[in-house]
Amino acid sequence: MFYRRAGISHTSYRQERQLWPLPFDRRLALFVLALTILAPLLVDRLYLVGYLMPWVIWSTATLGLNFLMGGAGQIHLGYGAIIAIGAYSSVHLVRAGTPFEIAIVAGGLASALIGSIFGAAALRVKGLYLAMATLAMQSIVDFVITQVPAISGGGQASLPVPTATFFGIAIVGDLRSYYFALAVCLIVTFFMLNVRRASFGRALAAVREKDYAASILGVNTFRFKLVAFWVSSFIGGVVGAVLAFCYYRAVSPDQFHLDLSIQIVAMAIVGGVGSVLGSFFGAALILFAPILLNQAVGQAAEMFGLAISADLRAHLPLMLYGGMIVGFLLWEPLGLAKIYDNVRNYFLVWPFRHARH
Amino acid sequence: MTIKRRTFLAGAGAAAIGSQLHVSFAAAQEKVVRFAMPQDFTRVYTFATTEYNQGQRDYASLVNAKGGVNGYQIVLDVSDHGNDQPRAIEAYERAKTQGAVLIDPLSTPVARALVPRVTADKVNLITAFSGRSDAADGTAFPYVFPMSPNYWTQAGLLVDYFRQQDGDLKGKKICLVHIDTPFGKEPIPVFEALGAKLGYSFQAFPYTPPGNDQSAIWPQVRRAKPDWVVFWGVAVGQTVALTEALRNGIPINRVSSSVWLSESDMDIVGRAAMKGLIKVEPCASGTSPKIIQDIIKTVIAPGKGAGDKAKVGTSYYNYGVMMAALMIEGVRKAFEKAPNGPITGEWLNAGLTSISNFDADGFMPATTITPQDHQGGGKCRIARWDGEKFAPVTDWFTANQDVVWAEIKKSADEYKKTAK
Repeated sequence: MFYRRAGISHTSYRQERQLWPLPFDRRLALFVLALTILAPLLVDRLYLVGYLMPWVIWSTATLGLNFLMGGAGQIHLGYGAIIAIGAYSSVHLVRAGTPFEIAIVAGGLASALIGSIFGAAALRVKGLYLAMATLAMQSIVDFVITQVPAISGGGQASLPVPTATFFGIAIVGDLRSYYFALAVCLIVTFFMLNVRRASFGRALAAVREKDYAASILGVNTFRFKLVAFWVSSFIGGVVGAVLAFCYYRAVSPDQFHLDLSIQIVAMAIVGGVGSVLGSFFGAALILFAPILLNQAVGQAAEMFGLAISADLRAHLPLMLYGGMIVGFLLWEPLGLAKIYDNVRNYFLVWPFRHARH
Repeated sequence: MTIKRRTFLAGAGAAAIGSQLHVSFAAAQEKVVRFAMPQDFTRVYTFATTEYNQGQRDYASLVNAKGGVNGYQIVLDVSDHGNDQPRAIEAYERAKTQGAVLIDPLSTPVARALVPRVTADKVNLITAFSGRSDAADGTAFPYVFPMSPNYWTQAGLLVDYFRQQDGDLKGKKICLVHIDTPFGKEPIPVFEALGAKLGYSFQAFPYTPPGNDQSAIWPQVRRAKPDWVVFWGVAVGQTVALTEALRNGIPINRVSSSVWLSESDMDIVGRAAMKGLIKVEPCASGTSPKIIQDIIKTVIAPGKGAGDKAKVGTSYYNYGVMMAALMIEGVRKAFEKAPNGPITGEWLNAGLTSISNFDADGFMPATTITPQDHQGGGKCRIARWDGEKFAPVTDWFTANQDVVWAEIKKSADEYKKTAK
């Protein structure tokens, strides 16, 4: 049902190798794209600014990290620092008079440069040691930002973000900010969808699965790992600029602490490591589950007149949230993307039941 | 019962949708003034939030029990933002949709992130004992209200108290032990400027956040032989600092801190050992002030209190009462100016900026807020721990405001230049 495969025959390699060979997948993707574009007309402003906007930005960040984690199999616990570098570089550049079009790319390049310098050092080690090395990067960047008033923006450590103009269009207000963030997100999404089909993506996959096997195949593992760091950091830097100019409009060091890095790693893992769709699901779950649970608990307390203390009222959602994460990891360790995949597989062979997973 | 994957997913989905059903709510309800209190109950500011928020809610209950203001009830929407900025921004946007005219996040990072939004949307942002210190300048930050002595003022008051004690600070030494964050470094310019003026020498000792290990710093402080020690941090950093000061034999009656010291900190370090410890007090503590007695009689006794009875009258509880009293005084003034509303952020802003000489029956210093001065005059008193409670050792006073305002202006002008 829905995902009908019968009657679809590809007559060229090109056709067979397109992103979504099944027409239903294609239409579904277009439908979701249309929804995100029409969202400002469909939903209340609260949902646009409070939900869609952070979702689009955090999804882009998760895609960037997932490129490294899922694509090349390298863990990174300092992604928040990468985003910080992009945010601070681009804001300072625009404040110094650089056009935003250049500043956003320069923000990405600054992140990529610093990210891969750390990466080069960190890549001499693997696995848990790499995690520690990237964690160190997070601390160093945090430290530098808070200790240098010229970067953090003076004693109050809060840097106002000027209005950006992108090819003559000032990015002000909710609508333009949303569309700008969405455009960046779409570009990154298409890059991610396509990169795995290119030789670069395949080389990374080889590195991910077994790096010495990859080097026997003639893949320069160090080089590809470093390029993966570079690309991922570049995306992170651009996300930082988007975050600063479209969402926060005032940057301060505490926006980019370890919490952010852990949050994005969690998004990648809960969504599904290496999955493009999962990045979106993971970002949505990690960002919104605490908010929704809080509201649900608050409402339940009101509706049933439960006399629970403010402390419990605040901590109950956290317990439920924790339970939920454990639940998802227990019942669907491959991430939220796998849940969608299961549904799709079910319908692919419906009414029969033997879809192979 | 075994939980199936499908049940689990369906449950999660239903909960997500269910929680959103009420968004079309009671915005049109009659006769309410809505305040949003998304605060951090679970992450960083937990040391203060519960008591602070309890005080706010109890005071609002007191006002509402007496018929509200001008027949309007004060509604406080309390939620948890966990010091997480996307969550806080969501809470802010939601509050705005619901018609809130004021938001009090009690978190410096959140307040900083909300400044551009509240300025654009004309919603009043309360940043009591948090947020940007330069927000005292109302001309730069028309919608941001510290309404409490900022950290520069607190530093200035402490130095003046030292001067009162010693007669003259010439040749004396003041040491600041501070958390190594922008917040911890904030008072340094004031200490330095006053040092140049009064002739004391000043030395700063940073410790790494969050400050649960300061053992390397305090022996250095001891060797510096300070006449007065000021320690500047929050939560765990404060009690660790006290323990280390004690261990290094620094006389506690020469040790002082900002407003962030409470009775529960004394319990951790030891009530008896802390005798003589100095803190800055923005409002009276304890249950004896009339306003707290009113709350006990009208709200706590009938069992309508917002939390643990034992917390009533603690320092942070009283800070909450103080801030709620100021906010509601602002509402009263706003009704005086425009009795028929409409209830908007601008309407409340006019009220808040015309609070004059409000002291809540002696509970707090006479506070006057003007469109220029959002700090409210910068009055506090110095209190010393007597083993049981913080007992005031001075009257309400203000000092060194020239140095403080120079600092405020410098920072606010910089802000004005960059944010247009």
